[in-house]
Amino acid sequence: MEKYGIGQPVRRKEDVRFLTGKGVYIDDISRPNLVHAVILRSPHAHAKILKIDSSEAQTMPGVLAIVTGQDWEREDFAPIPTRSAVKTKISGAPLNQPPRHCLAIERARYVGEPVALIVAESSAQAQDAAESIEVDYEELEPVTDQVKALEPGAPQIWDDIEGNICLDFELGDKQATDKAFAAADHVVSLELRNNRVTAVPIETRGAIAEYDAASDSYLLHNATQNVHANRATFADVLKISPDKLHHVAPDVGGGFGAKNSGYPEPPLLLYAAKKLGRPVKWIADRNESFQGDTHGRDQASKVELALDSEGKFLALRTSTIGNLGAYCFTMGPFTPTAGSARTQGGPYDIPAMFYSAIAAFTNTMPLDPYRGAGRPEASFQIERVVELAARELGIDPVELRARNLMRADTLPRKTPMGLDVDTGDFPQLFERTLKMSDREGYAKRVQESRARGLRRGFAIAPYLECSGGMPKEFAGVTFASDGTITLSVGSQSTGMGHETSLPQILGARLGVDMDKIAYVQGDTDATPLGGGHGGSRGLEMGGSAVMTAANDIIAKARHIAAHMLNSTPDDISFANGAFTDVKTDQNIAMEDVIAASFEQGRLPSDMEPGCLDTGVTYERELITCPNGCHAAEVEVDPETGSINVERYWVVDDFGTIINPLLAEGQVMGGIAQGLGQALMENIVYDEESGQLVTGSLMDYALPRADSMPNMQLAFFEDAPTAKNPLGVKGAGEAGCCGAPPAIVNAVLDALKGDGVTHIEMPLTPEKVWRAIAGGKLSP
Amino acid sequence: MYEFQYHRPNSLEDAAKLFDAAGDPQYLAGGQTLIPVMKQRLAMPSDLIDIGRIGDLHGITADKNALTIGAMTTHAQVASCDKVRESIPALASLANHIGDPAVRNRGTLGGSIANNDPAADYPAALVALGASVQTTSREIAAEAFFTGLFETALEEGEMIVKVTFPVTDCAGYEKFPNPASRYATVGVFVARTKERVRVAVTGAGLSVFRAGDIEAALETDFSPDALDGISISADGLNSDLHASAEYRANLIIVLARRAAAKANAA
Amino acid sequence: MPQLSLSVNARPVSADVEPRCLLSNLLREHLGLTGTHIGCDTSQCGACVVLVDGKAIKSCTMFAHQAEGCEVTTIEGLAGEGTLHPMQEAFRDHHALQCGFCTPGMIMASVALARDNPALDEAAVCKGLEGNLCRCTGYQNIIRAVLAGAKSMRGKHDV
Ligand SMILES: Cc1cc2nc3c(=O)[nH]c(=O)nc-3n(C[C@H](O)[C@H](O)[C@H](O)COP(=O)(O)OP(=O)(O)OC[C@H]3O[C@@H](n4cnc5c(N)ncnc54)[C@H](O)[C@@H]3O)c2cc1C
Ligand code: FES
Ligand code: FES
Repeated sequence: MEKYGIGQPVRRKEDVRFLTGKGVYIDDISRPNLVHAVILRSPHAHAKILKIDSSEAQTMPGVLAIVTGQDWEREDFAPIPTRSAVKTKISGAPLNQPPRHCLAIERARYVGEPVALIVAESSAQAQDAAESIEVDYEELEPVTDQVKALEPGAPQIWDDIEGNICLDFELGDKQATDKAFAAADHVVSLELRNNRVTAVPIETRGAIAEYDAASDSYLLHNATQNVHANRATFADVLKISPDKLHHVAPDVGGGFGAKNSGYPEPPLLLYAAKKLGRPVKWIADRNESFQGDTHGRDQASKVELALDSEGKFLALRTSTIGNLGAYCFTMGPFTPTAGSARTQGGPYDIPAMFYSAIAAFTNTMPLDPYRGAGRPEASFQIERVVELAARELGIDPVELRARNLMRADTLPRKTPMGLDVDTGDFPQLFERTLKMSDREGYAKRVQESRARGLRRGFAIAPYLECSGGMPKEFAGVTFASDGTITLSVGSQSTGMGHETSLPQILGARLGVDMDKIAYVQGDTDATPLGGGHGGSRGLEMGGSAVMTAANDIIAKARHIAAHMLNSTPDDISFANGAFTDVKTDQNIAMEDVIAASFEQGRLPSDMEPGCLDTGVTYERELITCPNGCHAAEVEVDPETGSINVERYWVVDDFGTIINPLLAEGQVMGGIAQGLGQALMENIVYDEESGQLVTGSLMDYALPRADSMPNMQLAFFEDAPTAKNPLGVKGAGEAGCCGAPPAIVNAVLDALKGDGVTHIEMPLTPEKVWRAIAGGKLSP
Repeated sequence: MYEFQYHRPNSLEDAAKLFDAAGDPQYLAGGQTLIPVMKQRLAMPSDLIDIGRIGDLHGITADKNALTIGAMTTHAQVASCDKVRESIPALASLANHIGDPAVRNRGTLGGSIANNDPAADYPAALVALGASVQTTSREIAAEAFFTGLFETALEEGEMIVKVTFPVTDCAGYEKFPNPASRYATVGVFVARTKERVRVAVTGAGLSVFRAGDIEAALETDFSPDALDGISISADGLNSDLHASAEYRANLIIVLARRAAAKANAA
Repeated sequence: MPQLSLSVNARPVSADVEPRCLLSNLLREHLGLTGTHIGCDTSQCGACVVLVDGKAIKSCTMFAHQAEGCEVTTIEGLAGEGTLHPMQEAFRDHHALQCGFCTPGMIMASVALARDNPALDEAAVCKGLEGNLCRCTGYQNIIRAVLAGAKSMRGKHDV
């Protein structure tokens, strides 16, 4: 086995830098002459901005510039465009997209909306100045809940968007679904919420903008997950050509979606940098992040499942009201609509499905994709309704699921939602998960828990999701005569380890030492295009682009090898880093071919030195379908309602595993975020005032080391996909899809003796205690 | 953060002088409350008087009857001190569950009680154990010390020097941490002294309070079972994002039972 | 304000900084030791943990002047140039980091934990890392790394 081959648990190249404090994150970057920006944000959820008086602030020490919405309007910059292309169902018209300017103009529509930019010599001075800006607001009634926003008489967030509706959406066969429901023996129905959460990468957002007058161009260092898409967005806003903006992401301290979006701050900084002729830095503080980082999920749904008398699923019908916040963010309208529709029904064989959704505006921070973007919601919906169906029909939930999984011999197939499920073996994964989870010992563990006054529950949650993100990716490989190879890719890691896994793929394919491969990402100058991060696309897209580039290089190198061996390319085979003439058995190493590629004398006449340099764009045709099965065992303390997730098992089918170490890391991190959403994380707005109640880490709870169960992981690698050259399906978001239903259903299983059938996430101790205490309490 | 003057006196006298001379001064102990508050611009003292290096505020002494802990003693020092672990193990255990290791390495007993956060742990111990607070000018019984939400009996400039805890034959503390901040959503300290049983509750009210019904029940029978059937009224208890008054009322009983069990096991 | 003198990573340092300069500001902005990270404003995340006189503390919650005369160790000073401390090594071996942002604080807290607790077990590691948030790893690999790192520290008598 090759040391760095595909499938090897290669330790990460980037680690030494991170472990010794030599990572370079945005706040670690300084510039000569640097000045600092602070954003003044709206303290109100909904208010007219009558007047902004910054006269005192202008004169304060160190203050260099103050920019308000009016100033912004005067400059005639464009609103930030949404990149969400979902169409409305009835007319097929584009969605209602209200103008989202970088600064609120005339009206603020959520707590934390940027109202002014203040730049000063130091950030303390900027903050001092921000505090002395007087903004005259006229408060308006807010609405923060999407269901209430649709009620007649609800406050109108946009004067010209009636009923606060951004768009309505449908997918599936309504007629067939309704018919199946009408004929069904059982219909199980559940109303549920998918709670609003936020990504909380431990590094907050931040950026440094610079302007060069001589070339009239900008340089933006930004803690972003997506330099190319955001360059286009920021260029649109500033009405400049994208090639005037060089966008670079340094080391990024986690993103999970929240650093993908087209935020208002970078264009403001770019503008200020030009205006002042000095580099401008802004780093969000944590409290600001809760207000100003995009939120995720927040769907109110009704899910209905039709079954026959044997418990066979006949049809699934889901209707959702998604909260968009006050504006369409970059991909906000996509999540509750197309994003949640495609994987409806999960891995189950359901002949008819119909999904409908309304995306509504509210006076809250806008939503955008957060790890999973609709698929965790879909997975939660189906798993919760199946659990309830098992309860109502008196069938063992494990058995009911097993009965309804799509069988391997029915693949490939297209689901009623149009998802192409090509490979996989859901029943086998299900069985393996059950086996791992030691069902034999369960009865004894229940007894032991009971002896300690605790309830124990178990649940299994198979999931099927899909990859996403931009359908194109670029990989470039350049060779230097000293033997170093530089790989530049347009996909981006914010912790996933591409600096290791992508050179690992290139090295393994070319048969060269991956340590000789330098890696470049997150730089609009390094690649002509790039899809950045998002939708578990890193390996699927970045990896496939690298593989395609490697194949191109091998094809070219084959010609050189043939020339060097006095043979013809057709007679040359390539394996294990060496070209072999199949006739003479003579061979030559790839490394020698690379060395020869710099000397005209050793090249065929139609090739030139440097000819191995390669740049390719890989384009996907079909999205992949990561799938797997989670299972959780929990203990509940009925006296306090506390939950301890005690054991956890997962078997995942991500297709080919390039580096198991990294794939496992993705799964565990996803489970932690899923556990957080299930048990503790919740963004809460006060309904009356629209204030953000969970505005700091003092109130927004995150999982800690002691929140996590012991997780046992396994991979199923027998069903690689043919949808891309690597056979990978994507791993980044799967954990978030499986964990919430596994954990919530396990808790409800523990409480079945108490007659509890549903608790809304997060399952906080108080909610659990109330559910158990039930009738014993006054309302 | 706003600007301020920083001073680091070596004696109580110098500290008092600096305090009197300044416009709007505050003492700085471990800074684990004051610094986050200042960073968020929620406080703007003109002067910070760092009392960390005043010898009189340090040290733990114990005899047969009492344990005395200097105001500048960190939570980590209380948690790991053999004298505390032997004479009042529940106190060491309480200190060991404040915040996290880094907070315990800086935060102090004096700072915690001077701040009197309604969700702080120490106030429950002081009240249940019948401790007395020695300040630069007088001695104050714990119950008279904690006067309200973030309020104490301390006068302007008065500094806590040390706290004396009567040694108890058995005590137990049980805390239900807030999932985000890790302060006490509710904490109950149960102590049986020579004279009587005292039960103090933190996290549930504006300030620490004694739970009379629970004390009475445990007075009769110092066992967790003695609390069966007792309930606490939710009236006047805190209600917030993480716990309603009703839930807190439930937690008080549940935690009191568990604290009593711990005390019995001690 | 008199000059501030202290030792940082075994080197004497003196500086002339404002009273409101936090230890984290001193390290990051004045000394260029940017391995110490800032992840919150409420002293909760632990990204900023360094050792002061051998004890883990949150450098965002201590004024630089409070460290007068103290010995401060940051992630940059944990091992000699070009080498890794056993705890750093263990984090690498166990893939206990992804984005790396929480990592310096996590490692400094873990080193202190290992030195203070000769008999670490999983529960003690979880409790010991209560003040350190990681959003990437799900903690399991961190816990394994700390146990392994502590073991090899004992082997190298760094306890
Ligand atoms: C992340 C985190 C978690 C925490 N979790 C908990 C928890 O679970 N339980 C808990 O109880 N606490 C918790 N705390 C608070 C912690 O215990 C603080 O240490 C304590 O509340 C204040 O102590 P200090 O020494 O840091 O005081 P400082 O912050 O220095 O001072 C606090 C106040 O007390 C005054 N003061 C300090 N010393 C004296 C004195 N000797 N005489 C008069 N006035 C004085 C100061 O002027 C100031 O007003 C937490 C803090 C943090 C940052
Ligand atoms: S930066 Fe978060 S605790 Fe210091
Ligand atoms: S590795 Fe990213 S926060 Fe821990």
